[in-house]
Amino acid sequence: MTLTIVRLYHDLLGTYGDQGNAEVLIHRARARGIDVELVEVSPHAPVPTHGNIYLLGGGEDGPQTAALEMLRADQGLNTAATRGATVFAVCAGFQLIGATLPHADGSTIAGLELINVETVYDSSPRSVGELVITRNDLILTGFENHQGLTRLGSDVTALGTVISGVGNGIVTDNAKKTEGAQVGNIFGTYMHGPALARNPELADEVLSSAAGELVAYDDYWASAFAAERRFTLTHLRRK
Amino acid sequence: MGSLRLACAHTAGTAASRLSRLLGRGRGETVYGRTLLALDPQALTKLSRNRDIVLVSGTNGKTTTTNLLSQVLADGTDEGVSTSVYGANMTAGIAAAIGAIPRHRYVVLECDELYLPEMYRVLKPRVIVLLNLSRDQLHRTGEVRKVANLWHNTFTHDDVTFVIDRDDPFLEYAVSQAGHVVRVSFGGRRHPDAATCPACLALLDWSLGDYQCQCGLGSTLATVRSDKRLSGPARNAVLAVEAARLMGAVVPLEVQEQLTIQAPDRVTEYDVDGVTVSTRLAKNPESWRGAIVATTAPQVVLSVNARGIDGRDTSWLWDIDYSAFAGRTVVCTGERQLDVAYRLSVQGVEVTVAQDFAAAVRSLDASLPIQAIASYTAYQDLAAATMGIRKATGGRS
Repeated sequence: MTLTIVRLYHDLLGTYGDQGNAEVLIHRARARGIDVELVEVSPHAPVPTHGNIYLLGGGEDGPQTAALEMLRADQGLNTAATRGATVFAVCAGFQLIGATLPHADGSTIAGLELINVETVYDSSPRSVGELVITRNDLILTGFENHQGLTRLGSDVTALGTVISGVGNGIVTDNAKKTEGAQVGNIFGTYMHGPALARNPELADEVLSSAAGELVAYDDYWASAFAAERRFTLTHLRRK
Repeated sequence: MGSLRLACAHTAGTAASRLSRLLGRGRGETVYGRTLLALDPQALTKLSRNRDIVLVSGTNGKTTTTNLLSQVLADGTDEGVSTSVYGANMTAGIAAAIGAIPRHRYVVLECDELYLPEMYRVLKPRVIVLLNLSRDQLHRTGEVRKVANLWHNTFTHDDVTFVIDRDDPFLEYAVSQAGHVVRVSFGGRRHPDAATCPACLALLDWSLGDYQCQCGLGSTLATVRSDKRLSGPARNAVLAVEAARLMGAVVPLEVQEQLTIQAPDRVTEYDVDGVTVSTRLAKNPESWRGAIVATTAPQVVLSVNARGIDGRDTSWLWDIDYSAFAGRTVVCTGERQLDVAYRLSVQGVEVTVAQDFAAAVRSLDASLPIQAIASYTAYQDLAAATMGIRKATGGRS
């Protein structure tokens, strides 16, 4: 099988280095002997519907709105997601796959509605800094840099629980601070770093959601990098 | 300038600065500037009276261009120039440069992007040189576009002349309400952060290697057309020459040509236990790309930190193509050595890591050339570490 990874609008959603997520997935897939094809989709080019993993990154407000309008008009990503393809969306990408989000002009607009989350802007300052969360007893780290608070719908699971940082920015009824979202194969997060470079286990989870069970693989530099960030951010003061 | 309060503030600042130097707390400009402004909050306004000021701002090349422009202006006018020498570009650093004795009529100041609006209002410069706007310290600026918007909303009068690289759409937008603009074009080139128009947010069409938006941005003709093949430092040298001419300097064409051929870059030769390492400063994706092209040695040291001025988010490492280093010996160091090591390993570059710069150099073959690239604070640390590593240039052996 050839795994098709689709990187959407790198021009618009590549401001915060999230394109590295594609490189990490390709690297970890090939290490397992999986054939990978990377499809780069430029603005206004049709979004293929046969992809296995779709990647969206962070971008500035204007480009975010432009990307949303094109994806809505194209419908290729919605078709693929309905079919069960994996979507991994970061920051601006995470916000635009939700139900509603703020437009660059400040009004509220509908998102792609792939998952039931709502993002609103309030007067709180931009959330900028290292973000540390737990997910299934594992510590994950990333760097967040966003405006906006994201509320998860009742059918949506958080990606993890915040240890330090802001994440979604909304405290749930059981007093938990959540970060990101997951529904089936659709993942959303505020973690840059890129997220899949700093968290090899999350990279493998995203990969296996599309490619099935993976053989074990230990990448020395990936593990060392992830471990250093986790150690520094949990044992030393948050910088 | 004849204010008693200012004179007292200057004396106190000078004393504080001397004390700071004696205590080994750096060169003392910031202490001088802070003392001056604390004792005379109007000091900048007073010190800028009857002086001809140029401000240099942008993401890349501010320090080098400021130094070059000061030199060209001094040579082309046969007059002294007061200038910021060490890259201190916020309020205190600017106060130190403009308050220093002798106070020449001509002043060339480097200015941080976010401080430019205030310095424009307070100092009333004659010329502002804008080099470029690209991604840098996003944890501080948020978005490139925010800086462009800030400038756009500030520069709405005709009391200053801008010299800009018009191939950068963010700069074109920043000055689109300004009265006097010298637009230098280098034939157009794709801006990596400008997929959409900074003015109207429409997608920009870069298919011909240049932009012109439906809203009109980019349609004003360039004042000066220059060479498409010039490197970043050489393009900045052209902007510096244009600014010097606006200030009245005479710059012969052959001098201009020489400057663009030998455009200075931030490179320092460090001596590590008798081994000379040519080290280049690279602060953000744009300057890293330039530094990688210029780094051709078989052995390479890469040093990256993520303190405030470096940009605390290291994700930008993934925007850079390091594959040119494949097959060479690469050692990663600095506080974020593992970020770099993993990023390069994913591109198939074999790497090792070392505890610090000196250890990295010691792990290499002293008989073969070594070049290094260091992020901002890593570069500063090297400059400060005069104990183990001495600057090879500068005379003392």
